Amino acid sequence: MKYVKLPKENLDAFVENLKTHGKVYGPVKIGEYYSFQEINNSKEMSLEYSRTMIPPKKFFLKLKERLFTFNEEKGEYKETLEEEKIVVFGIHPCDINALKLMDKIYIDETPDKYYKMRRENAVIVGYGCHPDEYCFCHSLGTNYAADGFDLFLHELKDGFFVRVGSDKGNAIVSEISELIKDVEGSDIEEFRAAERKREKEYTLELNIRGITDMLALAYESEVWKEYADKCFGCGSCNLVCPTCRCYDVVDNVNLNLKSGERLRRLDSCMLRKHGLVAGGLNFRPTRIERLRNRFNCKGSLREDTLNCVGCGRCTVYCPSQIDYVEVLKKVRGEL
Amino acid sequence: MILNLEDELLDLLSNLDVKSFIMASSAHEETDLDVAFVEGSVSTEEGLERLKDIRKRSKILIAIGDCAVWGCVQAMRNQEMSMKERMRKVYDKEENFYDVLEPKGLSAYVDVDLEIPGCPIDKIEFLNAVLSLLHGDLPEVKDYPVCVECKLNEYQCLLVEKGMPCLGPIIVAGCNALCPGLGVDCIGCRGPIRDETNAAEELNVLKEKGYDEKYIKNRLKFFGANFGEIAKLSKMLEKKQPGKGGK
Ligand code: SF4
Ligand code: SF4
Ligand code: SF4
Ligand code: SF4
Repeated sequence: MKYVKLPKENLDAFVENLKTHGKVYGPVKIGEYYSFQEINNSKEMSLEYSRTMIPPKKFFLKLKERLFTFNEEKGEYKETLEEEKIVVFGIHPCDINALKLMDKIYIDETPDKYYKMRRENAVIVGYGCHPDEYCFCHSLGTNYAADGFDLFLHELKDGFFVRVGSDKGNAIVSEISELIKDVEGSDIEEFRAAERKREKEYTLELNIRGITDMLALAYESEVWKEYADKCFGCGSCNLVCPTCRCYDVVDNVNLNLKSGERLRRLDSCMLRKHGLVAGGLNFRPTRIERLRNRFNCKGSLREDTLNCVGCGRCTVYCPSQIDYVEVLKKVRGEL
Repeated sequence: MILNLEDELLDLLSNLDVKSFIMASSAHEETDLDVAFVEGSVSTEEGLERLKDIRKRSKILIAIGDCAVWGCVQAMRNQEMSMKERMRKVYDKEENFYDVLEPKGLSAYVDVDLEIPGCPIDKIEFLNAVLSLLHGDLPEVKDYPVCVECKLNEYQCLLVEKGMPCLGPIIVAGCNALCPGLGVDCIGCRGPIRDETNAAEELNVLKEKGYDEKYIKNRLKFFGANFGEIAKLSKMLEKKQPGKGGK
């Protein structure tokens, strides 16, 4: 990996350069929450943000979109998606690691061409963060992004320690050679000290060792009923999760009854219809089953990691304050 | 709302053979129907007879609007006082002059094939349902809470972030989270989700946020008084604070 330094005063010039690579999006404060929005300069961003409600996954697997229009009479369909180059600035390590999980699914295993195209058209600029009381990414090993980005900025006193993570990132760095410097020994020391300090800032722990077994053994546990009684089945936990990948499609026909459009939106296994199949059978009719399914999906192993990156969103945005970590501690019998 | 489909109405009607649409035309024929769209709650014996007759004549019966689905605001005082008491309060007499029934939605009395909720209904939801039927598909039934639409629109959560008494978690989606999108908490005009809504938890959550029980009860009952669990909660709270149900 290549390392360079971006002095603070050059941040805006850097953002200007990024604009030549696509529309630039960054974390913006709106009311009491954060959202990735298009930005013109660095001052519009809140780089000290905790987490956005909707993760940057939204740029690749859209919250809702039209996939194509169709015409039954002519027997044809027309895809309506547009290619667009974008730069997503300021993504935290957990969300970068979540995108890597999504890539495994929608690029490697069951390719989704819309997802893939958008990923290829995006520049990912990571940004170092500090945990709050809901973050438990360090328990999952996702608090550091070793790869999965083009550039990654770590804040220093007078600039940013920049890790260059891809050819794309390298190309950008070579375009802005007059804005950057070589890293010096003192920068490296400052970066290392900051990382050491950050490791100690975590207050929330989740023991994930053997969690898949623990979940299997808790299949009949009372814990599911306890939380299902509190749960609204509102889907917020899934819709804000950076690793949830389920979607649903619906067709709308036009007034001529011949043409129409196919829409897709993110789905959630906490919603009743997620388990509904043709013929009217629902294999998860109750909230108990749905809640258990959600935790089992999150807690199942994908290669070396779980389907959860410890971002804390599902706990923060649950209207019923169902605490993800607390549920899993009960599953294990720790609480 | 249906008549407000100005741009689509003529094309839509050209696909249909309308036998009766009293709000739009005086032509009216009492005959067998493929589809009957029924609005309004059942609140008199006469209305109930009429509903049963329509049910008999129709292959598909669709309830449109909150009145027809849940009974709407006129059901708000259900479970709190008897019909007699209500007559006494309003007319100062106990006799039931108009054969009034406790207001309820259609499904309390007859089989309903599809419900299009809302006070008022969303005209595009109605249009899509009709077009699906004409096309030979099952209309899309939204049976998930408004919160889903908040998330899909990336609207700030008013309940979580601002502590506002939002009913979104227990109210059926389909409005595209209109109110939360404008910064206004959901008052539940589309009604609860049949066999799904967790009203008891809404009561807990709002109590925890500092709202008092009577306020929450009225809020829940405004559009959802006939929903089983809300009715149960209402009875329970009524026992705790008798007589405080009225204005
Ligand atoms: S399950 Fe919860 S904590 Fe884990 S990645 Fe999803 S939203 Fe974040
Ligand atoms: S099944 Fe549930 S938890 Fe798993 S990805 Fe889908 S929505 Fe997320
Ligand atoms: S966000 Fe909370 S209330 Fe909503 S479905 Fe998830 S666990 Fe249930
Ligand atoms: S604002 Fe209301 S409807 Fe929207 S997510 Fe929050 S609780 Fe749900």
